[in-house]
Amino acid sequence: MDQLTLGTRNVSLEFPGVKALSNVDFEITTGEIRAVVGANGAGKSTLMKVLAGANPDYMGEVYLGDKTVDLRTTMAAKKLGIQIVYQEIDTALVPTLSVAENVMLSHMVVETHGHPMLDWNKLRRQAQEVLDRLHISVSVRTLVQNLSLAQKQMVLIAKAVVSKCNFLILDEPTAPLSDTETAELFRLVKHLRETQNIAIVFISHRINEVIQICEKYTVMRNGEIVDTAPITGATTTREIVEKMLGRTFEETFRREHVPIGEAASFQVSHLSGAAGKVNDVSIHVKKGEIVGIAGLVGAGKSELCKTIFGAYAKTGGSISLDGATLKIATPSHAVKNRIAFVPEERRKEGVLVHETVSFNLSAACLKNFCTASFIRKKKVDANAQRYVEDLGISTPSIRQLVKNLSGGNQQKVAVGKWMAADCDVYIFDEPTKGVDVGAKQDIFHLITEITKRGCSVIYASCENTELLSLTDRIYVLYDGKVMAELATAETNEDEIMYYAVGGKAVRA
Amino acid sequence: MQASLYPNLPGLQKRKQTFRFLLDWAAIITLGLCFVIFTVIKGNSFLSVDNMINILRAMSITTVFGIAATVTMAADGFDMSACTLASCAAYVFVSMYLWYGLALWLCVVLSILVTLVMYQLTMFLILVCKVPDMLATCALMFVHQGLGQWYIGGGAVSTGMRLPRTGALPARTTLSDSFSAIGRAPWIIVIMLLCVLAAYVFLEYTKHGRFIYAMGGNRQAAKLSGINIKAYRYMAGMITGVFIAIGGILVASRGSSAQVMCCDNYLMQSLAAVFVGRSVGGAEKPNALGTLVGAMLVSTLENGLTICAVSYYVLPAVKGTVLALALIAAYAGKKEE
Repeated sequence: MDQLTLGTRNVSLEFPGVKALSNVDFEITTGEIRAVVGANGAGKSTLMKVLAGANPDYMGEVYLGDKTVDLRTTMAAKKLGIQIVYQEIDTALVPTLSVAENVMLSHMVVETHGHPMLDWNKLRRQAQEVLDRLHISVSVRTLVQNLSLAQKQMVLIAKAVVSKCNFLILDEPTAPLSDTETAELFRLVKHLRETQNIAIVFISHRINEVIQICEKYTVMRNGEIVDTAPITGATTTREIVEKMLGRTFEETFRREHVPIGEAASFQVSHLSGAAGKVNDVSIHVKKGEIVGIAGLVGAGKSELCKTIFGAYAKTGGSISLDGATLKIATPSHAVKNRIAFVPEERRKEGVLVHETVSFNLSAACLKNFCTASFIRKKKVDANAQRYVEDLGISTPSIRQLVKNLSGGNQQKVAVGKWMAADCDVYIFDEPTKGVDVGAKQDIFHLITEITKRGCSVIYASCENTELLSLTDRIYVLYDGKVMAELATAETNEDEIMYYAVGGKAVRA
Repeated sequence: MQASLYPNLPGLQKRKQTFRFLLDWAAIITLGLCFVIFTVIKGNSFLSVDNMINILRAMSITTVFGIAATVTMAADGFDMSACTLASCAAYVFVSMYLWYGLALWLCVVLSILVTLVMYQLTMFLILVCKVPDMLATCALMFVHQGLGQWYIGGGAVSTGMRLPRTGALPARTTLSDSFSAIGRAPWIIVIMLLCVLAAYVFLEYTKHGRFIYAMGGNRQAAKLSGINIKAYRYMAGMITGVFIAIGGILVASRGSSAQVMCCDNYLMQSLAAVFVGRSVGGAEKPNALGTLVGAMLVSTLENGLTICAVSYYVLPAVKGTVLALALIAAYAGKKEE
């Protein structure tokens, strides 16, 4: 079979304010399975989108064989046989159509020009052939909406290989899959490599999977390729993780010492839920303690927070506060039990963007500002004024709509809302996401202030440096399970990363 | 959620399948039950050939409007103004025939053409100005009503009326037999079945139909598969336009005139037919045969209950209940997001 080479030469890409890729030289040849690894924001997905024609503003050149190609549209990439399966598989399938139609959709658009009538038998037969060839056992007549996540992904891969496909990019394909589903996917990937002239790029955060399936890996960090090396029997998870992290460290936040209570105050035991994404998790938090939840994107951090808060259904386990068992089936129960939650998607879930700063700051405890159901405006404003000053929210007035504030200030409002509510347990999910350094420090101070009141704090983040500087203890999640419980003072970034990519707890 | 609680219970799986099956065929099962119950109660006065034709005739206009809505909704569109536009089509049809004495076939063609021209405005608002379908057509509903009534001068178009504004005598004073035949059995039933068949073949057996479903099911995925989604939304709109005009013509012919706002009341029942038909046979999307079943269900109920001497003013409550039940069948089984 002909060997085809796809590569980039000096490719750079800038997003407003960020250099997402700088001078990247990447090359892949048909017949290999290549892993691309890196921490969050290293530029893996950005690079793959360039190859798929979805980032039209790149500088530098992309070549196929000895010819330079212009990949400015997704169609251009597809015509060259570059297919990508994105992580968000639901955006690429039509749920109300059958498997056969979904597999053949692009094919129908391109290949059946001039034949308006559809030959259902032929269509189903062709789709069946593709599925058979890949040994995927799904009925072609089933509607896609009735498939499991893994099956949908298989259908997407089938759809990719129906059309001309020399380079198949799988962007974090295993993130939502269970172990058996992952094994099935790996079988498919290996099968494809053996039977077709195809190169597979495999993006994953799970290093042990990468070692298991790939022959070569490329490490990216801060928009650059750090290393490309073959995977041999001697390659270890640790070695790859070290390359991913490099030797750079962010400036750290010095937190004040806050006395921590003796006994566990807030206890979560054997919690499962969120449709299988939280699996038998047991954690506890003492009064005045900040407990970190570490883990990569998709490890189940948000799911854990939301399950505790009652936003996702629980299937097992219990939650107790100061020895009393809490029944939390909905967020409303959680709030009544004085638990506060600052969600990750703040614009969508954390603040009311079309309302004023003043209203937002009283929204979680409006009852306190009312007399017989009538809102006492003066009290609301006094409360708002106090927190705007306390938290240093920079806003021209408390009447300003929250949507006009910067990201960091919105986040402060989201936190301030719960400060006013005076809760016992605070859960933060990625509170520093998209927040600049200055605001980050403010938010850290805020959280420390909260613990001074004797509250318990759960802090979920995928920024390990933050966890190390802010928390007292860290639980590392992987696949919805707790892999390790680490004392912050005795651990380091490497160790967290080791567990976060699925390393087993064997090290001392 | 239940599946994860009891993952390996075959009995539960089986029960779920049976439940799903019942939901999928709920409309047909209800239809069958209606027939059995009305036959048991009223015997041959319900189950006679004449009465069956009654039912078919009564459902035909709703079905045609339902087919129009089916095509739009297959593309994930929505048209609140379909039936007000149909009234305009009816005005044009009858006025061309009576006022200007044109040949019947020419009146039909002109009526369809005018409808399509007016539908450009709908498409302009939706595709070019990007107004959401519901809002755009809500506004156009009033435009259609006003324009249509301006054209007919505020009064019905029927035999023996002078032309508005000029006051001239109409070219024809009577309606011909072929004009009236369109609105009577068997022709009205034949036309309805042809419309259903045409929409069925188009949506199920042409790739254009499947592309319309694809964009209706997931616009983003359809776009990434290389489908020109604007072109297909436009195509769906134009086909809808044709069915709207046909519906208007049937109403006019059946009523032997174009009364003011003669079609406006068909909107809700035609939408009801589409919603009832959505889940028939597990299709999970608006489809021509399902719409036929939906319209038949509503019509059979009306007919049967009337024969059973239920007051006409109570009938809407019954229709509403059936619609609610059908919608429960379609949505209650859904997984929570």
